[in-house]
Amino acid sequence: MKPKILISSLTGCSGCISTLLSLDIFPQFLERTKIIYFPFIMDVEEIEECDIALIEGCVSEDSQVNLLKKIRKQTKKVYSIGTCAGFGGILSLSKKRIAEPVSKYIEIDGVIPGCPPPSKLLGNCLIKLIENREIDVDIPKKNLCATCPLRGEAEENFQTKITQINPNPEEIIPVEEDTECFLKRGILCLGPITRDGCEHVCIKEGLPCEGCMGPVSKSFFSNTINFISLIHLSKKIRNYDGIFYRFSKPTFKR
Amino acid sequence: MLKIVDVCTRVEGHGKVKIYLDNKNEEITQATFEIEAYRGFEHILKHKKLCDLPKIISRICGLCHASQSIASCKTIENIYGIEPSEQSILVRKLLMTGELIKSHSLHFFFQAFPDLLRIFNIHQKILSPYAIIKNYPQLTTIFFELIKIGNEIDKIFGGRSVHPITVIPGGVIYNPSKKNITLARKYFQKVLMNLEVVIERFIELFSKKIPPEEFMIPNPIFLGMHNHGIFDRYSGILGFKEDNKKITNFIEKNYTNYFNKDIDLNGIDFSIGNNILVGPLARNHIVESYDIEEVSNFLSVFDKTWYKNILFTNFIRLLEMYVETFKALELLNDPLVNKNESLLSLTNIKNMDGIGVVEAPRGILLHHYHLNKENSIDQIKLFIATEINIPLINHMITNYAQKLYEKTDIDTIKKEIQLIIRAFDPCISCATH
Repeated sequence: MKPKILISSLTGCSGCISTLLSLDIFPQFLERTKIIYFPFIMDVEEIEECDIALIEGCVSEDSQVNLLKKIRKQTKKVYSIGTCAGFGGILSLSKKRIAEPVSKYIEIDGVIPGCPPPSKLLGNCLIKLIENREIDVDIPKKNLCATCPLRGEAEENFQTKITQINPNPEEIIPVEEDTECFLKRGILCLGPITRDGCEHVCIKEGLPCEGCMGPVSKSFFSNTINFISLIHLSKKIRNYDGIFYRFSKPTFKR
Repeated sequence: MLKIVDVCTRVEGHGKVKIYLDNKNEEITQATFEIEAYRGFEHILKHKKLCDLPKIISRICGLCHASQSIASCKTIENIYGIEPSEQSILVRKLLMTGELIKSHSLHFFFQAFPDLLRIFNIHQKILSPYAIIKNYPQLTTIFFELIKIGNEIDKIFGGRSVHPITVIPGGVIYNPSKKNITLARKYFQKVLMNLEVVIERFIELFSKKIPPEEFMIPNPIFLGMHNHGIFDRYSGILGFKEDNKKITNFIEKNYTNYFNKDIDLNGIDFSIGNNILVGPLARNHIVESYDIEEVSNFLSVFDKTWYKNILFTNFIRLLEMYVETFKALELLNDPLVNKNESLLSLTNIKNMDGIGVVEAPRGILLHHYHLNKENSIDQIKLFIATEINIPLINHMITNYAQKLYEKTDIDTIKKEIQLIIRAFDPCISCATH
């Protein structure tokens, strides 16, 4: 029996869906499953019983909570795809809109993180899911620094004052062997509090991490506080909104 | 007054159709395409650093991400009074081509093609992608490949396939290696070969048919970009065109003469009479030439009745992919594409207002940022293709719904009018920015 799949979008940009549809393995995924609900590409409107639900986007409306509850009831396993569904996402920057992760309202079986999830990661996870294997991306053991190409000598005490959140355009240089860690250069990088899995694409292009893969642990709030206490942020940066919670909403309690 | 609501399917994002009946349920007074869940990016972006804007703005849409970031960069460059290097412009154009291939292909294959088969009585029961795959295996293989290649092209030139990182105010931070230029060339060549097959197939399936009258666009004003009459989605100027009249220039900085918005209210206010159409079909009417001989030949196969029919947009989408891929291959041969040029520094703000325009896959994007005395952004207005098309969509679906109500029931009508909406390829994520 092919697993029955439901794919639903909440509030977001459809970037996770467009990534899914362009995966190398998407034709194989279609072949090996039976998609029963996916409004982006088909006309079905009713939610029926299914094996796996993939949810994209954050929760920002009451009607979405009802939809989620219905999905949970009808589905064996529910996964959040992308940083919006996983951790709140970019709308966490909003002071007017609610942007909550799916897990705030229903129990989920895992998160496939990223804004959007890297193709390789998403593809591997989907294959595992249709083969009824566990995906382990939900338990991030490492932060981005653990495997960072700029890691050099591990250091925990950063003496340099952090004065920039973006390197000046003329200073952006692709990574070479002796390139120094951003934090040592006075540029804020969220690698220490961001989970591994993006293959350091931004860092390799000479750009610091902004945290789009989501937090490394569930206690993102305390993790962030710890991180801030280890670095010296300039006043200007301290007063600037939306650096640490650009992709993940802080949670105080779970 | 009775209101019938239905959720739109096979469109990007969440949209609804609403049909309003008079008190006696004898007549349909209005049908509307409605988008909800506005996210408020225009508020979020206030007082953000200029360099952060393109990165946040790209998150408005996972399909038009490159166009959104590039429009944002152009706006910021306008504020600083700088022009990016030619190398940067080439890379931006290549990135926009990848985005166009992916976006148009996704729409054509999953959303539009099943409708076309139904409208022209070729296949009635295409209810899921499984049915297309079964009935059209060759087209399926081709479109899966086109979607994948569009994605790969964006990964090469944007650093990531969705939400690019290479595009920054002042230029791009990417210089393609010889290896990547060769790879991109191979991809584009493959796209051209595939598109030739698709275009021929489209002509074979539909060109001899007469497009239904309900899909005719009633005298719109076409708005689109052209570069001295030639198709160009990055460096052209905007023009307006009414039926059989000469093109008039749309002066970007005077956009409020035509439309404006209050960011606390949803949608755009128009101050010109006729409905505006933006997007592939509008571009087709605005440009004098695509500058490629084959394209004129492809177009000449269709009877003139197609030219003002919204269903023709589907064919124009295929042609646009062909044209841009053809041009992308020329761009890749330009020695400037990997010339080392240092990035412009962003030091002196020259203008307190910045405006930037690009043609996204679905039509124009116009960004306007205003700075206060402290050089901090205090007002942002984003004008987005789908929002501009909404009055025309509503006009067309109202007419169609009223006509249908004479002979059929409301449940059929709510499904039928979605055929028109889908032909426009609305991008609801963008429109609910």
